[in-house]
Amino acid sequence: MNKRKLRRMVQVKEFWRRFTKNKTAVLGLSIMIFILLIVIFADVIVPYSKCIEQAGAERLQGPGPKHFFGTDEYGRDLFARVIHGSRFSLFIGVATSLMALVFGSLIGASAGYFGGMIDNAIMRVVDVFMCVPPILLSLAVVAALGTNLRNLIIAMTISCIPGNVRLIRSVVLTVAEQDYVEAARSYGTGNGRIILRYVLPNAMGPIIVNTTMMISDMILSAAGLSFIGMGIQPPAPEWGALLSNAQTYLFSAPYMLLFPGLFIIITSLAFNLVGDGLTDALDPKLKD
Amino acid sequence: MNEPILEVQRLKKYFRTAAGFLHAVDDVSFSIGRGQTMGVVGESGCGKSTLGRTILQLHEPSAGKIFFSGREVTGLSKRAFKDVRPKMQMIFQDPYSSLNGRMTVSQLIAEPLIVNKFCRSSSEIDERVEEMMDTVGLAKRLALSYPHELDGGRRQRIGIARALILRPEFVVCDEPVSALDVSIQAQILNLLMDLQDRMGLTYLFITHDLSVVKHISDEIMVMYLGRCVEKAPAREIFLHPVHPYTKALLAAIPIPDISSKHKHRELLQGEVTSPVNPKPGCRFAARCPMADDRCRSGEIPLMELRPGHFAACLKAESDQLNDPVFRLREESV
Amino acid sequence: MTELCPHGGKGKRHRKEQAWKTMEDRKQKLLDIEHLSIIYKTDLETVYAVNDISLSLEKGQTLGLVGETGAGKTTTALAVMGLLPERTARVTRGKILLDGEDVCGMTEKELLRLRGEKASMIFQDPMTALNPVLTVGSQIGEALYLHNAQELSREQIEKKVEETLEMVGIPKERKNEYPYQFSGGMRQRVVIAIALVCNPGLLIADEPTTALDVTIQAQILSMICDLQRKYGTSVIMITHDLGVVAETCDMVGIMYAGEIVEYGTLEDIFTGKEHHPYTKGLFGSIPNLWEESDRLHPIEGLMPDPTLQPEGCRFAPRCTECGEICRSKKPPLREKDGHQIRCHFHGGGDSLSAEDRKEESHE
Repeated sequence: MNKRKLRRMVQVKEFWRRFTKNKTAVLGLSIMIFILLIVIFADVIVPYSKCIEQAGAERLQGPGPKHFFGTDEYGRDLFARVIHGSRFSLFIGVATSLMALVFGSLIGASAGYFGGMIDNAIMRVVDVFMCVPPILLSLAVVAALGTNLRNLIIAMTISCIPGNVRLIRSVVLTVAEQDYVEAARSYGTGNGRIILRYVLPNAMGPIIVNTTMMISDMILSAAGLSFIGMGIQPPAPEWGALLSNAQTYLFSAPYMLLFPGLFIIITSLAFNLVGDGLTDALDPKLKD
Repeated sequence: MNEPILEVQRLKKYFRTAAGFLHAVDDVSFSIGRGQTMGVVGESGCGKSTLGRTILQLHEPSAGKIFFSGREVTGLSKRAFKDVRPKMQMIFQDPYSSLNGRMTVSQLIAEPLIVNKFCRSSSEIDERVEEMMDTVGLAKRLALSYPHELDGGRRQRIGIARALILRPEFVVCDEPVSALDVSIQAQILNLLMDLQDRMGLTYLFITHDLSVVKHISDEIMVMYLGRCVEKAPAREIFLHPVHPYTKALLAAIPIPDISSKHKHRELLQGEVTSPVNPKPGCRFAARCPMADDRCRSGEIPLMELRPGHFAACLKAESDQLNDPVFRLREESV
Repeated sequence: MTELCPHGGKGKRHRKEQAWKTMEDRKQKLLDIEHLSIIYKTDLETVYAVNDISLSLEKGQTLGLVGETGAGKTTTALAVMGLLPERTARVTRGKILLDGEDVCGMTEKELLRLRGEKASMIFQDPMTALNPVLTVGSQIGEALYLHNAQELSREQIEKKVEETLEMVGIPKERKNEYPYQFSGGMRQRVVIAIALVCNPGLLIADEPTTALDVTIQAQILSMICDLQRKYGTSVIMITHDLGVVAETCDMVGIMYAGEIVEYGTLEDIFTGKEHHPYTKGLFGSIPNLWEESDRLHPIEGLMPDPTLQPEGCRFAPRCTECGEICRSKKPPLREKDGHQIRCHFHGGGDSLSAEDRKEESHE
């Protein structure tokens, strides 16, 4: 038992050593932690009430000591809105990507691994879904289910599962051809275990990168939905919604665009960097 | 021969392709005695690997029967085959692609035990893995290494350990040494022979290398385009090859010897024809220097020319009389 | 039906004379490698791939380079072609004289002229060596267009392509077909046709038959031998198969861990009395077709770590005859009648190596 734990520990340590060797990945991770801290301590940094409090006298003010990021057209404090917006944006991004990852992996891996009829059936359904623009698909689902956070996440997950299934199927197709999969079958390994222990871990590289990129995509697409009124309902703050709101004042108050935009870029970048680092660190073949 | 552990009767495996049926294994029958080694030789695409995989039920046979220890294993349900599976294992050709690179050496070797729930506790697993590593000559310190950190020889030892940890009775060795360097090849061949003695294993040894198969086999089967063309005890097939294809194979091997004995010789022309929808008659007829119309029509059965020596060639009987070695032997008898 | 290898009938004496000739008359040589050392340097480690090897090749001769993975055979060949990966590989010492010109000092432009015209190379895997979207005819013709020294017209080039195809045993009607329409053996013939179309003086064959079936291997080897005899091409045959060496080569170099541990004529290597322990090990490792033996005699142990440069002999950890001196002192290249062995205990009376002797005579 002890030995097993020790082995696990050695593996974790080894993984950490290799991850930290990649300086950009560490930078990405630090940014990610920083943003996570903002998400966790948003209420401590600035109370939620501040971001829905309207002050007619302080409309469209530029950044200053009182309002770090300025105010919007209703005089709401943008700093507070960006800080609290991180909660919605990150939650939506991470939750939808992870759900799409889980479902996409299982469906895509089954299609690629079993092949034949199962593959055909799954892929034709996926094709149908791919024909519909993702934003339209989410829109339809939200419209059918009603607008709230849960339905928004469901809608966005459904819209990005097809792409995920395609990617994972293609990776799995090449991995499933490998001799070690046949070897596993020769000593009696069941299909479930083969998919989970052999196929998916070896297909992990592109999948992880794709997921991290998907998180940033999802943040943006949530913004789009918010923009047309199907996403986060005002007055709740969300980065994308802030951004679309800022469009109207692009020339009179460009700072409104600047800060939410910066946060979206930095967050996506952080996730991408970490994704790259993970791919390298998780692949034992790339050791040193 | 002692009681057969494996008996294959008229085994066929066809694959459906766009152009028609690919006859990978076509009507092959043989049996292997317990503790014996059957060598299967042939060029790429002759169906030797498919034969091994079909016997292990990695492919569903198209027709024919396979008996293991007297019990029919063809047509067994997955559940029923679970009891037989651990007794029949396989060693793969490529020690690079046949090991999951995400697992450590000890994980790789332990995997069959875990999958088949052979051990009750993890300490028992560790014990057996360690014992197995010792048996195949892998140092203990390598237990936590990943396969890509090791060389081909060591990797193949992992493959052997993984195949043997379930204590099988019958092992299909699919070109286990052809991806290895010469000096390492000899190490692995010796190891396989030692293990056979020690564990009473029966091998089906698949290879394209005649010198390797001669060294390790008791009996040799030569395959050409899915068919067994000749089958005989190992010594016999090298001393008195009967089928023209076997002769051509033997003649084509470059011999590391510069005495002029093997210098001038006849070479086989042409290349292997397609195994998709083969023409009737002898599969080798297209390349055979002796083929006539009789060879190109009708089935050519495997005939027993002398006790234990089978060949599928119409010219065999008349031809063997012209064979100087053969004649010499007849005279001495 | 063809017969394999033209060199079988040559007398032992004749070959010995040839060996002597190489020793004395250095101007006759097509290829002369002197004290070549090559490293691969990356941020993490330095691999000592080739360590101080010297060899030479006469016109029309075949030299076999035998060794296992990591012995430095292919690196040597790539160096001769000027094809070493620029980013990592460095020639740290020595020179490669091809037709009297030093390959190591050549510019990329000179190298382009060299490849194909003076030397060309056949690679192991015929499946990946051809461009799948071009017809085989145009791939063969390409080399001619590039090195069009004789200012051949289009028609002449087409004609030459057809001739070359026939020469390697492919009907000329197939020149407009694509590589996927050819089988493995046929593709290797196309690869050889591409290599030979400009009549290079030197052909380097890097494991040309390893990926092929044994009956096809025999066809290809006999074809290489025939063409060589016909056009007087020199060949470096890189292989791990001593059988192939026995059938095709005049001179043999046995390589181990970047060094040539034994070098001599075919007879020296196969029937000579003195051998390097590694050569003996190699022969012991091959199962013999015509003799009965119960066990093989493998060389125990593994290839040494190429990133280390040991004090003594590189083979010492695996050697059965290893003594105290082998671990501490690098063995000299001993020579007797052109048969060189790098070992403390073997290799006849002359402890002075050929190179040392040559250097002395220069002074």
